[in-house]
Amino acid sequence: MDDYSILVVDDNPDDQVLTVRALKNASKNSPVIVLEDGQEALDFLFGDEKTASRRNLDTLGVILLDVKLPRVNGLEVLKHIRSSPLTNWMPVIMISSSDEPSELVEAYRLGANSYITKAIDYHEFTEQMTLLARYWLTVNKVPESGSVRKL
Amino acid sequence: MKRWHWRYWPLKAKLLFLTLFTSTLGIVLVCASLIAVENQNYREQLESELHVIAGILAEQSAAALLFEDHEQLSSILSSLRKIETIKQACVFSASGTLMNSLYSSGDTDCPSLSEQPPVGFVGNYYRLSQPVTLYEDTVGYIYLISHLEVLKAHIQTFIFLAMGIGGLIQLILVFVAFRLQRLVSQPILELSRAAERISLAHDYTIRAPVYGKDELGRLGRTFNDMIGTIEQQNLRILESRDSLERTVEERTSQLSLANKELEAFSYSVSHDLRQPLRAIEGFGRALEEDCEDVLDDTGKDHLRRIRAASVRMAGLIDGLLVLSRVSRQPMESERLNLSEMLEEIAEELSDLSEPLPTELRIQPDIWVAGDGRMLRIAFQNLLENAWKYSAKESSRVIEVSATSDAGYITIAIQDNGVGFDMRYVDKLFVAFNRLHTPSEFGGTGIGLATVNRVILRHHGSISASSEVGKGARFAVCLPVPAADRLHSVESNS
Repeated sequence: MDDYSILVVDDNPDDQVLTVRALKNASKNSPVIVLEDGQEALDFLFGDEKTASRRNLDTLGVILLDVKLPRVNGLEVLKHIRSSPLTNWMPVIMISSSDEPSELVEAYRLGANSYITKAIDYHEFTEQMTLLARYWLTVNKVPESGSVRKL
Repeated sequence: MKRWHWRYWPLKAKLLFLTLFTSTLGIVLVCASLIAVENQNYREQLESELHVIAGILAEQSAAALLFEDHEQLSSILSSLRKIETIKQACVFSASGTLMNSLYSSGDTDCPSLSEQPPVGFVGNYYRLSQPVTLYEDTVGYIYLISHLEVLKAHIQTFIFLAMGIGGLIQLILVFVAFRLQRLVSQPILELSRAAERISLAHDYTIRAPVYGKDELGRLGRTFNDMIGTIEQQNLRILESRDSLERTVEERTSQLSLANKELEAFSYSVSHDLRQPLRAIEGFGRALEEDCEDVLDDTGKDHLRRIRAASVRMAGLIDGLLVLSRVSRQPMESERLNLSEMLEEIAEELSDLSEPLPTELRIQPDIWVAGDGRMLRIAFQNLLENAWKYSAKESSRVIEVSATSDAGYITIAIQDNGVGFDMRYVDKLFVAFNRLHTPSEFGGTGIGLATVNRVILRHHGSISASSEVGKGARFAVCLPVPAADRLHSVESNS
């Protein structure tokens, strides 16, 4: 299962580095794809306007989506993911710096699979990422994207 | 039935009644005295008439009596038939023998003179006895009985007449009184109607009509003055209410603006201030891991301090966010079993902390009303404090008890910890004020400020008392809703 990749969408370069580091700590072989903002994420998932081509999503295991993103914010990206039959089956974990209750409620309303407040203590943060990677990449099963389309 | 009671009568009726009662009494008294006088006069007249008749009869019959001439006597007596009031006439000789009589029959015999027959007004008759004298010698007696039918008929007629005239006068008086009572009742009734209209419509522009310069006129003018004063005051109250409403509106909009700004501020605090902290902490850790061989002990210690400081600051930010959240969150109100909530919190605490012999006494079934989430934050802080500050004793004793009094419930949390100096009690509930150094006991200094805010938002109060080394006691006083007061009384009884 280690060959499933993880998509991380986070605008903060520090957080990107720390998240990748923590994820590598948890699951050494999983490729981690890092994107900087919501528009990039939408392009990656649904195809670029210029190239009109889409990446192969079959190997994508889980998406870690920051709530606060420039241009298109995390919750809007989540809405797009859930409204398209190509992507609506994908596990999406919302990660946020805040623990604002309204944001949490909104994330679950839009269909997030999970919501995590990034811990400040790095040790705790690594723990979070390890648990997350273990669960979504090894314990949890997702359907083949092709089989979903046939349905 | 009560409607007929005097006090329910309308004013008009009372005035009319009083006038008529007085006049009727006057008329009746006048008539009665007239009748009495007339009666007396008529009797006297009758009496003197009969005496005259008897005198004439005596003179005429003197010779006949002397000669015992029965025929003559009979003819003399017969002349009495023309006088209708005479009921009976008897003539006696000087020795008392009945000589002749008029209207005598078996049952109405002439009385015998020797038995002293009654004289004067006796029963329905007037009787009189007249001696017959001739040259100063008594030659006989005449006894006359007159019935009083004529007298009665006369008095009866007189009574009817008096009553008739009295009734007529009364009728005229009713008419006059009816007209005149208006003079008094009209201004009072109009005043009363004006007062009624004012109190029903709350229209203080209404004025009562004023008549004349007597007491009623003065009453009307005073009433109008009074309503004028009320009108002005009412106007002033309305004006100040309007301006107050405008002020409140302004303040409300200012407040909601401030609240929105606070919300935006706390959102950015929770997002943007945490992120750099995480970077400091995370990269500190990365540095520690990656450059373990390069760093000496001092360098490692510095790194440890940097990381600890950022974690502490994160704690402060979290505390501030909770404080701001309990200040602006809308309140809900429900009935809560505080004892159960405290037991849950205590369980979480004993899971976390180091093993220390702990005695926790929580009074069962303490019921309070309020916002569950906020009260949980408050009591979690209080219990955590009690737990934390008694951690250095040989054993930990925490007691939670409640007392109810006059619509309030007071929940006391007593520990056996280090306590604090009462000189600094004022600083206890202010954010960032701490009474212990971080090396003695960890903490942010925001916890009790948050507790205070939660309790204030529940319209309650909190107080603390302590002595250094002898533990601290925090008392939370919360109002009990009126509906619950009954409940607590029931459960007490």
